[in-house]
Amino acid sequence: MTQPAPLYIVTSPRPRMGKTLLARLLMEFFRHSRRPVVGFDLNPRDPALAGRFPKLVWPVDITETRGQMELFDRLIAETTSTKIVDLGYGPFEQFFAVMREIGFVQEARRRGIDPIVFFVTDQTMPTVRSFGELQRRLTATLVPVHNESVSLLFSKEDFPLARPECGVIRIPRLSAIVRGVVDRPNFSFNAYMAKQPGGPTEVHKWIAELYAEFRDFELRLMMSRLSASLGGTPAPALTRGRVR
Amino acid sequence: MAKPTVVVVGADKGGVGKTTVARTLLDYFTAHHVPIRAFDTESPKGTLKRFHPDISEIVDATSVPDQMRIFDTLSSTAASVTVIDVRAGLLSPTLRSLRDIGFLDAVKKGQLTFVVFHILGSSIASLNEIEDTSSFLGDSKYFLVKNFINNTSFFEWDQATHASYFRKFKDAVEITIPKLNEMAYEQVELASVPFLTFVANKGLKGESANYSFVLRGYVRHWLGNVWAEYDRIKLNEIVASCGVAPSGPRVQVVSRS
Repeated sequence: MTQPAPLYIVTSPRPRMGKTLLARLLMEFFRHSRRPVVGFDLNPRDPALAGRFPKLVWPVDITETRGQMELFDRLIAETTSTKIVDLGYGPFEQFFAVMREIGFVQEARRRGIDPIVFFVTDQTMPTVRSFGELQRRLTATLVPVHNESVSLLFSKEDFPLARPECGVIRIPRLSAIVRGVVDRPNFSFNAYMAKQPGGPTEVHKWIAELYAEFRDFELRLMMSRLSASLGGTPAPALTRGRVR
Repeated sequence: MAKPTVVVVGADKGGVGKTTVARTLLDYFTAHHVPIRAFDTESPKGTLKRFHPDISEIVDATSVPDQMRIFDTLSSTAASVTVIDVRAGLLSPTLRSLRDIGFLDAVKKGQLTFVVFHILGSSIASLNEIEDTSSFLGDSKYFLVKNFINNTSFFEWDQATHASYFRKFKDAVEITIPKLNEMAYEQVELASVPFLTFVANKGLKGESANYSFVLRGYVRHWLGNVWAEYDRIKLNEIVASCGVAPSGPRVQVVSRS
């Protein structure tokens, strides 16, 4: 029997943390590896992800019950496509409150889906507190993301790993000029990667490093499942990047 | 065998959610494998019967033959619990009839267990009803239900008024039915199935249904909270009890903080 496609929730309780950038990268990563992927943009005021992938990403407003049905019912109804949820800071609290109330994680697990929450971190107190709170109350796998463009250092003490074998996702820092390139409205990571007339640029290396990071993560997850099914304890992931 | 239990759900005012509470009780007893039957006194067309057709009968609580159908069969029926959803305005007359036919005496002698869920409205009149109703209920378990399912605000109940009424009833128990998401409530209405069946994603005949997972989740969570209230008052133990009848007045009120 095939394993149901994964579900990734990309989030942070604060704005301007690089959530949509990470969601974009994940969308393109799965398309690059020729796996079906769909997305849900939970930023009703500025659905930037839906704007970039109009045929693959639905903007959803979860402040209404109808929007909650559009999202959560779809997330578990179809299991062949990988799903990416771009959860902005606005509906952050409500999303997890509804998730808990309707027993979403339990139902997803019953259907073989292991929801993964990519939590983009920074050094501020509200973010650290919010992470701790989610870790206590959420039964889904919570993975900290260290976006080096947002904070230089990542503290393991502030963001302890519930599943050490999953490790931390690291987004390397991009220079401001290059960031301007990837933020262009029609920029596609995959299209850019396909063209390297003068050899790899900083952007090529950056994208390649992130795709390698995603592949590593998938592999770690797979090893963890395998290890669990054999009754063993998964080994902690090797940590990359600057960690204090 | 446990002694027969009669559960009356009523109010002297309409639109306070009597049938909804009766439905949650039927689901609760079903989940606890308690044999039940129900009588819907909204004759000729009953709402309770629409949701629980297999175990419900529509009766006219004011007619003697129908009173006989309910009370003369308490010992012979396979159901150990009989739930009666009393139509608006008939709670006090029904209790009076029960006194007149000797039912309340049988409760006093410990031959029957009698439980009353009095659904309160938001008005002061509703508090006055408590005084009228409680005078009949010496040996019964009397529960006062504040039903928030439709987001009722008990706007006329300021703290002092509330306290002045509830002070009169020693050991009284208050139950709170929380609010249910409107869309979820509406979908259960449209499906015309018990809450439990809706949560299980089934139709009335046990066939698979296709209700929204989100709405089922809301109903499951809400029903869990309602049942937590029934567990708090030890309802399952009350209906399973047999032998010695409780002594003294049992109009109980405990405020839920």
